Amino acid sequence: MKKANRVLTILMFVFLYIPMVVLIVASFNTGKDITKFEGFTFAQYGELFRDKDLLGLLGNSVLIALLSTAISVAFGTLAAVGIHSLKPKMRKAVLSLTNIPMTNPDIVTGVSLSLLFVFVGTGLLNQRESLNFGTLLLAHVTFGLPYVILNVMPKLQQMNPALTDAAMDLGCTPVKAFFKVIIHEIMPGVVSGGIMAFTMSLDDFVISYFVTGSDFVTLPVEIYTYTKKPIHPKVYAMFTLLFGLIFVLMLTMNLLQLRSDRKKASKRPVSRGWKIARRWVAGVAAASLVVGCGFLFANGRQEKTVLNVYNWGMNMADGTDGTMDLVAEFEKRYPNIDVRMSEYESNEVLYSKLKNGGISVDVIIPSDYMIHRMRNEGMLLELNFDNIPNFAYVDEQFKNPDYDPENKYSVPYTWGTVGILYNTKYVDEADVTGWELMWNEKYAGKILMIDNSRDAFGIAQYLLGYSVNTTDKAELQACADKLAQQRPLVQQYVMDQIYATMENEEAYIAAYYAGDCMLMMEENEDLAFYLPEHQGFNLFTDAMCIPNCATEKEAAELFINFMCDPEISGANMDYICYASPISAAKEYMEDYLAESEIVYPDEELLNKGTSYQFLSEETSRYVESLYQGATKINSVSTEEEPSGKPIVWVAVAVLAVGGGTWFLIRRKKKKH
Amino acid sequence: MSKELIRLRDLTMEFDGERILDGINLYINDHEFLTLLGPSGCGKTTTLRIIGGFLTPTEGTVVFDGECINDVPPYKRQINTVFQRYALFPHLNVFDNIAFGLRVAKMPKEEIEQRVNHMLEVVSLKGYGHRNVSSLSGGQQQRVAIARALVNEPKVLLLDEPLGALDLRLRKDMQNELKRIQQATGITFVYVTHDQEEALSMSDTVVVMDKGRIQQIGKPEDIYNEPKNAFVADFIGESNILDGIMLADYKVKFFGRTFTCVDAGFEPNEPVDVVIRPEDIDIVEPDQGHLVGTVTGITFKGLNYDIIVEFKGFKWLIQTTDFHPVGAVIGIRLNPEDIHIMHKSEYSGMFGDYSSYSAEYDELTEDAGDEEE
Amino acid sequence: MRKNKSVLLSVPYILWMVAFTLIPLCVVGYYALTDPDTGAFTLDNIRDLEMYMPVLGQSVLYSLISAALCLLLGYPVAYYIAHRTPVMQKILYMLVMLPMCMSFLLRTLAWVGLLQDTGIINNFLDWIGVGRIQLIRTPGAVILGMVYNYLPYMILPLYATLVKIDNRLIEAAEDLGCNSLQTFTKVILPLSVPGIFSGITMVFVPAVSTFYISQKLGGTDTVLIGDLIERLFKQGDNPNLGAVLSLVLMALVLVCTGIMNRLGKDEEGGVIV
Repeated sequence: MKKANRVLTILMFVFLYIPMVVLIVASFNTGKDITKFEGFTFAQYGELFRDKDLLGLLGNSVLIALLSTAISVAFGTLAAVGIHSLKPKMRKAVLSLTNIPMTNPDIVTGVSLSLLFVFVGTGLLNQRESLNFGTLLLAHVTFGLPYVILNVMPKLQQMNPALTDAAMDLGCTPVKAFFKVIIHEIMPGVVSGGIMAFTMSLDDFVISYFVTGSDFVTLPVEIYTYTKKPIHPKVYAMFTLLFGLIFVLMLTMNLLQLRSDRKKASKRPVSRGWKIARRWVAGVAAASLVVGCGFLFANGRQEKTVLNVYNWGMNMADGTDGTMDLVAEFEKRYPNIDVRMSEYESNEVLYSKLKNGGISVDVIIPSDYMIHRMRNEGMLLELNFDNIPNFAYVDEQFKNPDYDPENKYSVPYTWGTVGILYNTKYVDEADVTGWELMWNEKYAGKILMIDNSRDAFGIAQYLLGYSVNTTDKAELQACADKLAQQRPLVQQYVMDQIYATMENEEAYIAAYYAGDCMLMMEENEDLAFYLPEHQGFNLFTDAMCIPNCATEKEAAELFINFMCDPEISGANMDYICYASPISAAKEYMEDYLAESEIVYPDEELLNKGTSYQFLSEETSRYVESLYQGATKINSVSTEEEPSGKPIVWVAVAVLAVGGGTWFLIRRKKKKH
Repeated sequence: MSKELIRLRDLTMEFDGERILDGINLYINDHEFLTLLGPSGCGKTTTLRIIGGFLTPTEGTVVFDGECINDVPPYKRQINTVFQRYALFPHLNVFDNIAFGLRVAKMPKEEIEQRVNHMLEVVSLKGYGHRNVSSLSGGQQQRVAIARALVNEPKVLLLDEPLGALDLRLRKDMQNELKRIQQATGITFVYVTHDQEEALSMSDTVVVMDKGRIQQIGKPEDIYNEPKNAFVADFIGESNILDGIMLADYKVKFFGRTFTCVDAGFEPNEPVDVVIRPEDIDIVEPDQGHLVGTVTGITFKGLNYDIIVEFKGFKWLIQTTDFHPVGAVIGIRLNPEDIHIMHKSEYSGMFGDYSSYSAEYDELTEDAGDEEE
Repeated sequence: MRKNKSVLLSVPYILWMVAFTLIPLCVVGYYALTDPDTGAFTLDNIRDLEMYMPVLGQSVLYSLISAALCLLLGYPVAYYIAHRTPVMQKILYMLVMLPMCMSFLLRTLAWVGLLQDTGIINNFLDWIGVGRIQLIRTPGAVILGMVYNYLPYMILPLYATLVKIDNRLIEAAEDLGCNSLQTFTKVILPLSVPGIFSGITMVFVPAVSTFYISQKLGGTDTVLIGDLIERLFKQGDNPNLGAVLSLVLMALVLVCTGIMNRLGKDEEGGVIV
């Protein structure tokens, strides 16, 4: 029995620590792939320390954790004293209120707070940016408070009530009694509550994810974005350093406590715990004050205009792989402007972020149909083309497009096609005949489908021979059925995750945007791109717009103008591998790209492509819900799973739960 | 005489290199009420736990009914324990707590019912079967703990400071109760306490322990009247302990004066400890006394006064029913049977001086022994 | 007089909690009952709920299985830790806590690296000649992810109750004739019931609402309710439907924790004594 327990415990620790070992090993890897160790290096750590953004995010996380902990501890301790002196009934009610954020799933807390902030901020106060640093702090304090309260309350209850009386008998005012006596008694609770609040805040992803605006992002939220893309190993390096730091911190705390316990046991009970605690609290308070002041100072000093650019993932040259760092270049030309980039995955994500309100961005780069929709809904600002002289470089064929007929709202950024990326090592050329490849059962489990309703429906529509702009419900339903039929074959519905998955050959076939496919083909030679010209394909334009939540319109126009500089556009295309709507940019592009059939398909091929148009609110939502139904909640395929595994699982769960309940009920009955 | 039931042979126990028990030899007879008495840390609880099977001695053997039981786990021994602060199962009610051992032994339901109910009567808890144990008073919990152990009809019942958590009045009642139960059932009781009064009033045999060693074994009267060394003399009752010299049999000299006593068998001129119980001293007029001293303190004790009397710089405790004010000069007489002579021991000179006497001395000894492991 | 004054200290807190826990839930309710386009009152969102029931069922099933597995794995471990020396206990407790302080996103991502078809485990299996097997994108992988992430949430409360059990109770049971198995089933297990229930709650609640684990380790069949909520808020442009699902999720969790509390409560009084 004891031996079995020991073995199990060791196995459990192995289980808990294996993934961390994988991450730590990956931080010393010369390659980017977590699954292949190519060589030992410290280079990732160098990269990490050069990456101010990443360190800044860490700083943000620490800052918010310190501030929210300081507030929670001060506020919560006082509140606990107040609650303690409430009448029992009232106390019970308040404690169950306290329990709400504890028992509610994080996602519900996050959703409800974000709805509240948007509802109040955007709806009632008409704020431009209702989700910001303040709301994030509010949220963190809200979920930190219960930890403090629930840790302090038991200490108050254990405390001998005569202590306060004794203190006052000896001449203390109630306030003095609190600081001289009560606080000593409840300090262990305050400290452990504070530590819990701090760790919860530092590590919180789910709630922050829902209440984060664009001005202040914490590390876990950004890591979420990272994990959707091929992740840079410097992130693993940071993980390793944090792991080491936390390990050492915990160890020293434990050792200190152990030492003081021993001393306590051997000598008279000095309030050493309190001394340590006081040092801790003082340290935390001082640190948060310093960091907070530093932050405010840094912010206050910043006379620069902050320009928030909201772009697709990996859709702007950032200086890696020998490309030009466009943001740095822009900031060099306009030293008064500080550009902050953030990323979205799809037009739909962009739309709902803006629509639901809460964030403030100045430049967005949606696709054609989405520009149409946003224009329709009054979500875009008219551009002042006097500030965008470089618009003259844009090719005539891209001016006054269908989605913006008078060309008031948008300036084209890139254009491209949606086709099929496949791995020639595994896919038989004979099968590459058209969009039906995406439905080929031979490659079941190795197919990646694009994860947004419009592109997914588009593919089904080309395959079925419908117009991509159909509003016919029967046709749309047929497309949904087709997609539902495809679902068992699909490995994953992906956007940016496609990179890692295709490059390391986890999947063989994917439908995606040509430019991104070019990037992946550079990484893995076996990949090839195919446009099903006989069935048709999507031809899209992404264009830069200014949403109506923008605060820096002029700077945004400067930025748009900058991006239309042929030299800049060319340099940008070198990185993102799309086609520029500015022909003059070709001169500055690398030849293989400028001449690539994939990037610049010939006229004849191009004529076979079609663009998406905005249909209507109603159809959009209808398509979205069909898409959800077909790809996310197709219950039929789940329940008729041929493998017996789930049934075993079900049996185990039912037995465990049922057994437990039976055991309890039986005992209950015996009691009465 | 009844037969021997348990024998401890050369028991030694060490924890982390610290010697807790040092060569304990002891036998316990059937139907006997034996008490292990000593201050906290003397090893009495350790001895009890070894008998119960919760500890294995570092050296030595435990013999039960003629067989070595060193390696027999507690649940196979015919011995049950009443734990310090009871250790009642909080998730079970009174009835289920008492029935616990019988249920483990898979006894038929009717018999369990009958025996538990009988036991509830024995411990005067009839009708309490369905009560939650945490709702009971200390005395009631105590009786549940005793019932839970006794219902299994063990050969031996071990009681580890069972009355320690009760108030004085209740303790007295429970002492009588325990003695009655022991006599009624005829079960051997091994009782651990640090309360000498409890030990003397309940036991057939008292084992006085200190520093992991047995200091004296004997009947309560013998222990009180014939303490073997200064430790026992001081621990059991109050004693004035003086340095003396045994001149010859029945002749002892102290305070520069030779007294007649009833002890013999010492070396000539052997230095000895002389014990004089405070209640044995007769107070007389100064001119009639063997010794003359001055009263330096007096405390009213209800039945008598405790007075502190200084003789040539040495202070004695004397119990008397008469009032003698501070400063009064009195004489004392010592009869031969009031003087008890002991060999010198490691405890000599440590006890029996009332120079720093304070009225709380008896309470002090009571608090000390609570926590013992 | 004094009492009254310190009671005032609780007022700002009560206002705060009402403002940031109760009112937000009312706002969720408001969204749930309005039309996304017009903002008018509607029950359509609730009607749409039916479509999502299988997902809800699947979420509950997976998280119950995870909770059961966590209990089976966590109990012996917690028991083992609770019976070490104080120093060892501290160290082991710290080792259980430590992973909880590290980014669960990255740790889950590491499992992708381990489990995927071209991952570390499969590469190894392939190398020793067993061949590759489907590990990732199965219900098993999602459950593994849940067990991995939430196992410490099971161990810690179990440890806390087990370590509080008075050793004399165990001795008393042995004294009364229990062998070690009987001691376990008759004394230790019943006394650790509160820990079991709080452990199950602490595993079940985050597991049933997770979206990251299923996104990373699950396949197209293992969509959970958290995925849907995240999707509806972050890209589906239908927060109103998302609000309905959030409310359903909350109700589900409240019912479950309510049952757990009810069942676990009576025992609690006992352990404190």
